[in-house]
This record gives sequence, C-alpha cells and structure tokens, in this order.
Amino acid sequence: MSAQSSTDDLQESGGVVDASLPWQVFICRACGLLYDEAKGDEDSGLAPGTRFVDIPDDWACPLCGVTKADFEPYIAECPVRQSRRSAVGAFQSTVSRHNNGTVIVGAGRAGWQMAQALRESDPDTPITLVTACSGDMYDKPLLSVAFARGITLEKMLREQGLQAAIRLNINLMAFTQALRVLPASRQLRTSRGTLRYKNLVLAHGALPRELQQFPASLCWRINHLQTYKKFRDALGVLPQRIAVIGAGLIGSELANDLALAGHHITLLDIASRPLASCLSHAQSTELVEAWSNLQINFIGGVRVSGLRQLLGTADASSPIQVTTECQKCLLVDHVVLAAGLETPSRLADSAGLVWNNGVDVNATTLATSVEGIYALGDCIAINGEVSRYIEPISRQARTVAAHILGLAAKPYKQIRVPLRIKTSSLPFTV
Amino acid sequence: MQVIEHESLILKDLLSSDFFNENLLSATKALADGPLAELADDIDRKGFYPKSVLMKLGEIGALSAHMAPSSDCGRSADYGLAIQVMTEVGRVCGSTAFMMWCHLVCGVYMEQSDNPALMGERLANHNQGITLGATGMSNPMKTFAGIETFLLHARKVDGGWLVNGTLPWVSNIGPDHYFGAVADLEATEDTAEKSEVMFMVQCDAVGVELRNCPSFSGMEGTNTWAVKLTDYFVGPNELIAHPVRPFIGRIRAAFILLQTGMGLGAAQGAIDSMWVVERTLGHVNEFLDDRPDDLQDELDGLKARIMELAKTPFGTEKEFLIDVLDSRAHASELALRAAQSALLHQGARGYLMTSNVQRRVRESHFVAIVTPAVKHLRKEIARLSADEQPA
Repeated sequence: MSAQSSTDDLQESGGVVDASLPWQVFICRACGLLYDEAKGDEDSGLAPGTRFVDIPDDWACPLCGVTKADFEPYIAECPVRQSRRSAVGAFQSTVSRHNNGTVIVGAGRAGWQMAQALRESDPDTPITLVTACSGDMYDKPLLSVAFARGITLEKMLREQGLQAAIRLNINLMAFTQALRVLPASRQLRTSRGTLRYKNLVLAHGALPRELQQFPASLCWRINHLQTYKKFRDALGVLPQRIAVIGAGLIGSELANDLALAGHHITLLDIASRPLASCLSHAQSTELVEAWSNLQINFIGGVRVSGLRQLLGTADASSPIQVTTECQKCLLVDHVVLAAGLETPSRLADSAGLVWNNGVDVNATTLATSVEGIYALGDCIAINGEVSRYIEPISRQARTVAAHILGLAAKPYKQIRVPLRIKTSSLPFTV
Repeated sequence: MQVIEHESLILKDLLSSDFFNENLLSATKALADGPLAELADDIDRKGFYPKSVLMKLGEIGALSAHMAPSSDCGRSADYGLAIQVMTEVGRVCGSTAFMMWCHLVCGVYMEQSDNPALMGERLANHNQGITLGATGMSNPMKTFAGIETFLLHARKVDGGWLVNGTLPWVSNIGPDHYFGAVADLEATEDTAEKSEVMFMVQCDAVGVELRNCPSFSGMEGTNTWAVKLTDYFVGPNELIAHPVRPFIGRIRAAFILLQTGMGLGAAQGAIDSMWVVERTLGHVNEFLDDRPDDLQDELDGLKARIMELAKTPFGTEKEFLIDVLDSRAHASELALRAAQSALLHQGARGYLMTSNVQRRVRESHFVAIVTPAVKHLRKEIARLSADEQPA
C-alpha cells in the first residue's frame, strides 16, 4: 500500500474519523519517524489526539522535512527474522564473502610445504600463513644432530620467513597466535585480527608435553630453532652437566649430540633401557655400550618427581636439583625435557573437529570432519594413529593442495618408511 | 527414601533459580525497553545521568546477580546471569550498560576484599543500588600490562596512607559515589620492593576534587570526571587490597568477563535494528555483507562461549585466560561489525543524529577502546602465549 493511496483512502472516507477508532501511527518513509496520533507533535503545533487526516498538507516531517504525502500507515509487526537471499547456488555466509583464500596455521615444514604445493599448482591463489614464530625455514631434525654434523647455528637457517613469503607470494603473519576457528562463518581469530578463509589448513604440529613437575622456567623444551639457539647460548663454551629427561628418539639423539660437544649427560627414562619403544633389548644394550666412550650416564627405570633451583654459588651458577621418585638426587646445570609431544587442541576444539589422538582426518583426502578445514603433519591422526616423521609431509601437502584447488588428486597413502635413529655413536635404521 | 528427598530438593532449587533468572531478565528487559529507551538519546548526547534507572536496576536485583546472595535462597552467584542482564540493558543503551559494569565490578572489589568494613551493610546497599560505585582501574590495569605508569602515589602514614595524583577520567561517579583505585607506594627503608595499595575513594571526602572532562563523541551521560586526589587519606575502612597484584590476578577474569555484556548488548541492538528494515529494504540489503542472521549466529556462538567461561569467573589458568581475553575481543569486534552493518542496512534513516543506529556506532567504538581495548587484549594474549624458558 502506497502512502498516497492510504491517505487518499482516509480522505475519501469523509475526512472525519470516528473518534472511537483506535489511534493510528504513521511512518515517514524517508527517515522512519513515527507520527503517533495519540501523542501528536507539539513542536509543530499538533496537539495530542490530532488525527493524521487532520494534519495540514503543508506539514513537514519534523525530523527530515519531507511532506505528509511521504508518510504511510505504520503497521507494527514482529519483523520476520529471515534475511532475503536471492543469490542462486549454494548458501554462502555473508560474513566470509571477502576472504583470504587458503589460510595455513603453522610455519614448520608442514606449513611451508603446504604453501609451496598450492603455489606450484596455482600462481594466483591467495595464501595466508599464520605462525606464532618468525616463520624462518629450517630442518627440525638437525636440532638433535648439530654437533655430530658440525652444523653451525647460522647454517641451520635455510631461508628467512619473510624471504620465503616473497618468493612464494604469500601473506606471512609472523608472531601471530591463532586462537579460534568459527567454522560456520569461516573465520580464524588471531592475536592480530580475524581472517576470513575459504579453506583452512591446520599445520601447527605438536608441542613438548607440559608436566606439572617440570616448571617451564627450569627446563628446556627444544622444539624450535629459536629455543635451540637460546639453549646453546645458555650452555656457553665450558662443559656443562645436563640432565636429559626422556630417552626416546629426541632425548637419545640430543644426549648423544650434546655429549659429543663435551658435556656431561645424565639420560633418564621411566623405561629400563633407551629407545625402548623402537629398539630391541639387544639393540638398546649395544647403544648403551657404544655410549660408554662418551660422557653419557643412562639411568633407566626412574621417574623424575621434581626440579628445584638451588641458590647460586660464588661463580654465579645456580645448579638444579633433579629428584626421582625413588629418592635419587642429582645436581646439574641444565635440564632438557624430552618426554614426548602433545598436539594442542585449542583450534580443533573451537572448530568442533573430531579428535582421535590428534586432528582426525580422512585417510585419503586429509579433510577433517568439518567442511573447508584440512590438516597435515604432526597434528593429525589417521585412524587414531599419529605420525611425527618428515617423509609423508610433502605428499600430504600435495594431496591437500589438489583438493583445495579442485585438481585431480592421488589418494594419500600411508607408507611405512624406515626410521633412522641418528645416535651417531651407533645409528640405527628400524 | 533419602535419595528421593535429596533429588527433589535439587529439582526445587533448580526451579527456583530458573524462575529467579527468568523474572530478573524479563524485569530488566521491561525497564530497558520502557523508561531507559526513552532516555537513551538524552543520556548519550545531552549528558543526562540515568541515576533513577541505575537505582531501579538495583531494586530489581539486576546489579547483584554475580554476588553471593546474603541469604540461602536457592541460587548462587551467577556471572552468566549478570552478563545476560547487562546485555539486555546494552541492547538499548550502551552508556547505561557501561555504568552497570562500573558498578558491578566495584561490587567485586568489595566482596573479594575480605575487608569487613567494605562488606556487610555497605555491600548490601551497593548490591541493591541504594548507593552507586565505580572503578578507576584503567590506569593500574594498563600499568600491570606494562603499557602505562601509575598516576596515583601513596605514602604510608599513621593508620593508613595518603594518596596524591590525578586520574584523567573515571565514569559513573558524583559527590555521593565511590570507586576503587590503585596507587603505587613510595619505597621506604622497610619496604625496598615496589608495591601498591588498592582502596576505595569516597568522592565527597576531604582531598577529592572532581574536574570536568572535555566532551566525548557520545556517552555523555556517564558522569565521567577527572579525579584529583590531594593527600586523600586511606584508612582501614577503605582498604581493598594490599598487596594488590595477587588480588588483581584473582579477579582479572571476572573483571573482563563482565565487560562482555556491553559488547553483546551493542551487537544485539544493532542486529535488531537490521531486522526492522528487512521487510522494506531487504531487496537492496541482500547485497550487503554481514547480514543479520549470520551475525546472530555468530553472536549466539559467542554468547554460549561466554556463558561457559562465566561458570568459573575466578579461573587463573593460562588457556582459560586466553579464552576470556579473546571472547572480550570478539564481543568488541562483533559489536563494531554489527553496528557498522546496521548503519548500512538502515541507510539514511540510520544516519540521522537521533537514530539509535547512529548512536550504537559510537557505543561500539567505545566498547572496543575502553580498557582493555582490542589492542590491549591482543597484546596480552600474545604475552600469555609466549613459551616460558629458563632465564
């Protein structure tokens, strides 16, 4: 009903309104001002109770100045809370119309391989890489064999993050925490603002397990080049006493490497022998024997119960006392914790991803349980099984890239590859 | 038999608590949509201070949902409910929601102070809105985060401290109001270590001067003043905390969580105003980003997240704090987006100075810049997320 016809209707009915009729409200089509007959508009000389038909035609809207003819009866109604969408095709959230293309979380090998695989197949697709660190490229496995291979800290850095970002033409958000995924509107919340994504790839890896009895201020968790550099600075040039807690892959390799550099190592584990989960009894024994040429003292079958910093002595060093549940006690200068990795679940939880020892992904497509979100590398689990090795990562990246770009994808296959244990005193391939 | 009795007792408690919540929310909604809606524009632009509305909110129990009830009435302190109540107010008037927060968090200081002089009758009057309080904690919060330095300084004297200095703007105050503040302590021979003291400032006390602030772009009715303290005496009756840092650590999540009500309210008000024009303008508005149903979905998700966090308002665990900070940031960002989008949805009528859509744009800006602002929240998240290493 147009305003003109509505006011005409009223006038045709005689211009006189039955006083018993309820008060009506009219709305200005221009500004939305409501004229309520009951209240009138005293500022423009209309007393309460002035019927709309009785308002002079030259009366103007007190708010925006349009004329009486621009008013129409106002029907108070509960607005229908369903927004109009005439666009053809699949539903798309109006929140994420402008998006950053593929957003990758994590700048370890998995994150960079992912960016590279996408770029190789599509020179233009927008890619944003979000990482809590600098994004510098390096080979993480080298952190536990640096002394054995004679690699300097400078040589470990393969390419600076910024340079890699320019080379691959991607947007790198370094020193940025990814906080939360809103899958319905395809947003990733970060400590530097919210990104809207078309596809999200989780490649944030795993972190050293946090255990209450090991306060972060007293022990090193070497999972990153930056931390390793700080650790090496802390070691200085003189031989140090170092307790390495955990004789798995990383702990054993690190203990071996640090001993090569002349440090005195005590390697502790709950198991009675080193590398108990991947070596046979005999192999573990051989390894301990091979280590006898180095300053490595392996203590098996113990559980560390606590760490305590003692007061510094005159030479300014403040030794740390390591205590085991069986009341063994040793004094060291540094503690390295290598008690296993744990996948952070913050992003997966917020997105409602199925979790099964890690982000549960489809075994052939690496898609997670939520549309538009993929995952690869150390943070995933296939049928509940985690793989924290280098080999599959580039194949995983190619599979995910093909799915994201809509290209023919070879189904991803898990292959069992030999595991190389780089304990230089006695290396193993199992 | 005993088991059955026990179960029916729980059911009764649940019912009474639900009943209380529903009643409180509907009473708040009626007050907001009625008298408060009438005043909102005058509060925002003409500097009208809605004291009667605040006191009425106190009377209906809207200022004390987060407080432990004084009697055993089958309900307990409920931060989620306090946030929902503030959302209902903020949907209609951002200034009043902000002043509610000032008052609510002042109540937290009193309740958590363990100072009998601040609890008892004083707290009961506060909770009922018979007296009104506020907070001057922007400066100390920023100082603890390494962004500012203390503006108030205290000196130990017989029986208390003397405080000097000026806080640039403190809201929801007046001669008959009071607010919580922090001063750093001058080092003495006994206390070489830096420390602070937190206390209540009675605005009508000797040594307290309220000074006019410049005009703001909105929210003029929040009774915001600069406060100059000259040898203001803090005795045991006004002491909130000493030392202050552990106290702040304990109430930090509660302080920030309560603020989310302002953002949720502004966002909800903006979404509501988009629906008002959907029938007439939907044919053009469908080309806009951030449509009301999508924003509502996002807002509902955020509300659910905040309600979960509000179950443990005094949590101190790192991941919990990151979630609290991020949900406060999200509430600000969503309020900004919704207010902006509401203006685009309403078009010219939303651009009128008298339009609540126009007002909400300014209110949402306030939500995003009031301490802790979006930038402070993100910086704090980054600080908390950083890996700790041996020195």
